Amino acid sequence: MAETKRKRNVAPATNRNNNNKKKGGKQSNWKKGPHLPNALQKQLDSLNRNEEEDIIQSDEDLYEYGEKLPEEESQKNRAYDPVENFEYELPEDFEDEDVASDDEDGDDGVKKGDHDGDDEDDDDDYDDEKHARMLQDITGLPGAAFEGKKKKNNVIVYESYPEAESNPTHDINNDGRVTIDDFLNPLHGKSGFSKLRKDVARLDKKSKSILPPLPKPQQEKIDRKTAYIQANKRLTEYEHLVKKNREAQTIYFNEDIDLGNSTVGAIVSEFKPRTDFEMKMDLLINAKELSDAHQSDGARLLELNQVSAEDVKERQDRLAKMRNLLFRDELKLKRIKNIKSKTYRRLLKKDQSKVGSIDTEMDPEVAKELAEKQEFKRAEERMTLKHKNTSKWAKRIKKRGLDAQDDGTRAAISEQLQQHALLTRKRNSMHDDDDSSDVSMDDDDDDDDVISGDDDDDEASKLKFLEKGKKRTLELLEEDDDAPKSGLLSLPFMARGQKKKKDAADEEARLALQEFESSLKQLEGDDDLNNNTGLVGGRKVFGAQKKPVSQSKIKVNNKDRDNYFDNSESEDDADVTEDVKDKRDRIITQKDDTIDTDILREESEVGHDPLFDDISKVSGPKIAHEVSLFSTNISKKSKDKANKSKAKAKKSKVAELASSKETDIEHGDEDRYTDGEARMVDGVITSGTDYELPSQDDLIKRAFAGDDVEGDFEMAKQEVMNEENPEPEKPVLLPGWGEWTHKQERRGLPSWMVEEHERAKKKRDADLKKRPDAHLKHVIISEKVDKKAEKLQMKVLPYPFKNKEHFEQSNRMPLGPEFNPATALGALNRPEVVKKPGVSIQPIKLKKGKK
Amino acid sequence: MDIHDVSDDLEIKVKKYQRGQGADLESLKDKKLKGQLAVKEDLFKKSANAAAKAEKWLMQTEEGRLEPEGLEKTWRFSQQSIANEVDVASRKNQFDLVLPDLGPYTLDYTSSGRYMVSAGRKGHLSIIDLHTLKPIKDMQVGETVRDAVFLHNELFFAAAQKKYTYIYNRAGSELHCLKEHGSVLKLQFLKNHFLLSSINKFGQLHYQDITTGQMIGNYRTGLGRSDVLQLNPYNSVLASGHSGGTVSMWKPTSPAPLVKMLCHRGPVTAIAFHSNGHLMATAGMDKKLKIWDLRKYKAVQTLPGMAKSLDFSQKGMLAASTGSFVQVLATSDSQDYSRYMIHTMAKGYQISKVLFRPYEDVLGIGHSSGLSSILIPGSGEPNFDSWVANPYETLKQRREKEVRVLLDKLPPESIMLDPTQIGNLRNTRKQEKQTKEEKEAEKAAAVAAAKNVSLKKKTKGRSKPSKVARKKQEGIELAKRSFVEQNKEDGAAKKKQKRITDASDLPAALQPFVSRKRS
Repeated sequence: MAETKRKRNVAPATNRNNNNKKKGGKQSNWKKGPHLPNALQKQLDSLNRNEEEDIIQSDEDLYEYGEKLPEEESQKNRAYDPVENFEYELPEDFEDEDVASDDEDGDDGVKKGDHDGDDEDDDDDYDDEKHARMLQDITGLPGAAFEGKKKKNNVIVYESYPEAESNPTHDINNDGRVTIDDFLNPLHGKSGFSKLRKDVARLDKKSKSILPPLPKPQQEKIDRKTAYIQANKRLTEYEHLVKKNREAQTIYFNEDIDLGNSTVGAIVSEFKPRTDFEMKMDLLINAKELSDAHQSDGARLLELNQVSAEDVKERQDRLAKMRNLLFRDELKLKRIKNIKSKTYRRLLKKDQSKVGSIDTEMDPEVAKELAEKQEFKRAEERMTLKHKNTSKWAKRIKKRGLDAQDDGTRAAISEQLQQHALLTRKRNSMHDDDDSSDVSMDDDDDDDDVISGDDDDDEASKLKFLEKGKKRTLELLEEDDDAPKSGLLSLPFMARGQKKKKDAADEEARLALQEFESSLKQLEGDDDLNNNTGLVGGRKVFGAQKKPVSQSKIKVNNKDRDNYFDNSESEDDADVTEDVKDKRDRIITQKDDTIDTDILREESEVGHDPLFDDISKVSGPKIAHEVSLFSTNISKKSKDKANKSKAKAKKSKVAELASSKETDIEHGDEDRYTDGEARMVDGVITSGTDYELPSQDDLIKRAFAGDDVEGDFEMAKQEVMNEENPEPEKPVLLPGWGEWTHKQERRGLPSWMVEEHERAKKKRDADLKKRPDAHLKHVIISEKVDKKAEKLQMKVLPYPFKNKEHFEQSNRMPLGPEFNPATALGALNRPEVVKKPGVSIQPIKLKKGKK
Repeated sequence: MDIHDVSDDLEIKVKKYQRGQGADLESLKDKKLKGQLAVKEDLFKKSANAAAKAEKWLMQTEEGRLEPEGLEKTWRFSQQSIANEVDVASRKNQFDLVLPDLGPYTLDYTSSGRYMVSAGRKGHLSIIDLHTLKPIKDMQVGETVRDAVFLHNELFFAAAQKKYTYIYNRAGSELHCLKEHGSVLKLQFLKNHFLLSSINKFGQLHYQDITTGQMIGNYRTGLGRSDVLQLNPYNSVLASGHSGGTVSMWKPTSPAPLVKMLCHRGPVTAIAFHSNGHLMATAGMDKKLKIWDLRKYKAVQTLPGMAKSLDFSQKGMLAASTGSFVQVLATSDSQDYSRYMIHTMAKGYQISKVLFRPYEDVLGIGHSSGLSSILIPGSGEPNFDSWVANPYETLKQRREKEVRVLLDKLPPESIMLDPTQIGNLRNTRKQEKQTKEEKEAEKAAAVAAAKNVSLKKKTKGRSKPSKVARKKQEGIELAKRSFVEQNKEDGAAKKKQKRITDASDLPAALQPFVSRKRS
């Protein structure tokens, strides 16, 4: 009974399995179906919950258990082999069929072997049935409605099977393998089918079972091997080329490349006009008419040369226009030149200065002008220090502090300072130091010119000149008084120094003033000096009239000189700078010369005797000039120096005397020893005579030179040896070193010292034995290294050589054209690589023909 | 052609032009080098063959010789008998110039042998064209002239006069006065280097470059006055003979003589060099004439007799003069020199110089009363190379040659005893050992450098003073250690040396054991 009931119950369930797959989706909807009264519902819930849950749990358990367990087992047993896994699923299919036939769950089949839970199963089924019936009774709804719930569960269970059926697993079951025909058949009649079938047929003919691919490393190894073989084969193709190149004495690259024409003619002949202009020119030059004319006698050329009247007219017009323009421009310039407005000039200048800056680079004169201007500015800056924050404005800013200023002001200040630095920067010039002396020299020259050229200057101009000088000096004296009250120069010691300097200068100026005055007096015919005349020793006096003049002159000069010495004396005390000295020199020389000229003029005025005139003319300037020279010389030295030099001169004189005496004595001595001829020859001691009398020593030496030549030579050899291979130093003990008592003395030198000495000695002996002259008693061959000649020899063997002999033997032949025939010369001197410049080297190409 | 190749003399010539044996290539391991050298050697051989053939076919003139028949002796032939046999052109070379007033004369030829400059002691200078036998310039300088030499061509010559040496041109105008040389006794001109060398009264040797005027060398021989100075044409080394019987050889770049050899017991009177550079002849007051082999520095032959002047001819004959007597020695196998010819001047003539004329069989003699020229058959080189010296040089050729030789001028340092050594490997010098002080100084410098190393400022904590100090100390230690290691190496070397010396110090009975152990 129970069995049949159950069968009846299950049958629809199986049907459901087969047909209704999609009902599972409506499970939730179904839950929201007709509601029961609350009391009933509660009771039902309490009942249903247990039952349903049990059922569901049992169902799911059953299903999952059935599915999972074999998998797990298979995994455990067969180590995850996919193929066997596949095979293992077959029993499930089989079970499926069983289920279909027995109306039993797959679980049962599985369970059968495991344990005998049939009763329980039956109980479950029975419970379900009972429960459904009960629900039917209670709700009055058909039982199928309640079975949907169960159905859903079943749907999940069976869903996999239909899918499995659609899979090729079904076919596998049938004949074991899938053939390509199975895939092809459905394509029958479609486009490209025949082609496909042909391909397949062809494949079938050669069909072979494909082996599974090798493991990757092995595969790669094989790949590499084949690649190596291939590459090797391909490389060996080049071998003969490489070998040829390697063995070649010279490698030629790109021999066959034609670099094209290189001569000018060739390039010109290839010229083709491209631009319009070129075309036009070409057309004109290569006009057929012209070329024809050239080729024929040339008479036609004259015709071609003819210019039309229009052209001439046009040219004349153009020239006239240009001339007209020029004329107008000239007029304009003239007009501008006549403008007298200052404003206009100023503006013009401004403009020009703007433009001029560009011009300076082009025009040397402008550049020179600019440089002068610049120099002036620099000098001004040095004098005024205008840009060194000395202005009121700058001082105020400094007082307030730079930090308090805004950026603009600060920039302005810094700019100013920069300008100052720029202007006062020391310039490198050669004239800086020599300026003053140069000037003085120039002055001298000028004055000389005055003397030579302007003998007949009138008195007035001289007077003027002198007075001018005097005035200037006075001015100078007065001017110097104002001293700076602040700054560096206001410091006490600086002030003192300044004062000293100034004093010196003042004195200088005063002296100069004196000179001026005296000369002025002289010019004015003051005869004070003339009265104090005296005789000048050793000179002839020709006339009474002349005497005073010449004497006055001398007197003046003397006075000058006196002044000089006075000056120099005062100099010794005062700390006078070079500048001052130079200045003074200048003044003095000036003055001297002027005086001289004056005297000259006077003399020429007074003089009657032409002869004396001449003499005075000659002697006057000469003396004066000498004096002036003398003075300039002296002024540069201190008196002490002068004294010294004098003393020196005296000394030298004395020495000369002494030496002459000595020489005399020597002469005497020589005379005593030598014969008459020698005396005759040796008239002067310094005369280089050809024949030199050998001294007694020399004679003896020469006579006995060959005495012990061997001994001498041996000694010389020993010397050379000692020099080139020095003897080792004898071991020496430092006195007191290691000596507490006299122990050391008794023991002698420490053993290591002695040993070292011995070793050095032995080494020296070995070296001496190695010398090339070791066995040659009468030969010394120097072993000194000539450092200059070292560069002619190799320091190390050049690369491929390992052996000195090989290198030197390969080097033995001269390579020049004088020593080799033309046939061998080229080959001997050819470079390793011959290549055309500017042509890139192509990689080696394999020529197929050659092998 | 091939038939001629086989001939012996050609082989000899080939050998001469190969300039020595090729390297033994079998021992070479480097294949590439071996190949290269083999190719080079082939080229050398080819070149030598070509040169030998050229010599054979182009230089056909052979030198003649006096050939005695039977009991005849070559030295019995007088100049008159020779003159009767020779052609007119050769007879022209026999002459006597009698210049009794300004004697004794010395002479020099240009390298081509065409021109002769003669200098009389009392101031007579003259240049003579020996082809035309016409004087080109004849002048009197009015003071003692001790020597005269041609410079690179006949246009210039230098004369050592009483006080200074002067350079004159062919027209006789004085071009330079070389004051630095002092009063020169003997002049020599090194034509490949353009150096005028001289030895003066004080035994000072001067080398002056005549192209730049620069004084290249000024060395004192330190061996006293000497008027014996001779150029070795092979290597341009100068040899000077001294009163002590020594001959010293000089080069312009070294103040010490390259070689100094004791040749005679008395003062050396004359030196001459064979053109191959291997033979040197010296004569001394000890009445000996020695011929030396300069490769071994040993006398190969000692002959009795004095000689005031010596000269080797191009073909290796040696002329020696004493008093008014000239003797020419010759050799057939360059071994034993024996008397070949003699010539006696008129009695009382004192011969001061004998000189063979290049490219002619002529010996020039300068003596107290003039100049003489005699024929010595077989003395000169019969074939001249117009690239080297052309007696028939035209004006254009001379000019071109002047430029060429100036371009080929050799630097003075290229003068050395063995000129083939140029370009070869330098002889390894003895390593100059550092002295102890130097080592100490070096060490101190290294330590100081290590101390002064400024360390970089590292991140916080890594440049603590302690760490910085430690790092510095490490640096110093490192610097010191390298020196310690050096010392150790030295010590090891010393020890090794010591062991070796110990072995040799052992008694003879024990030495075999030591050697066995070592081997």
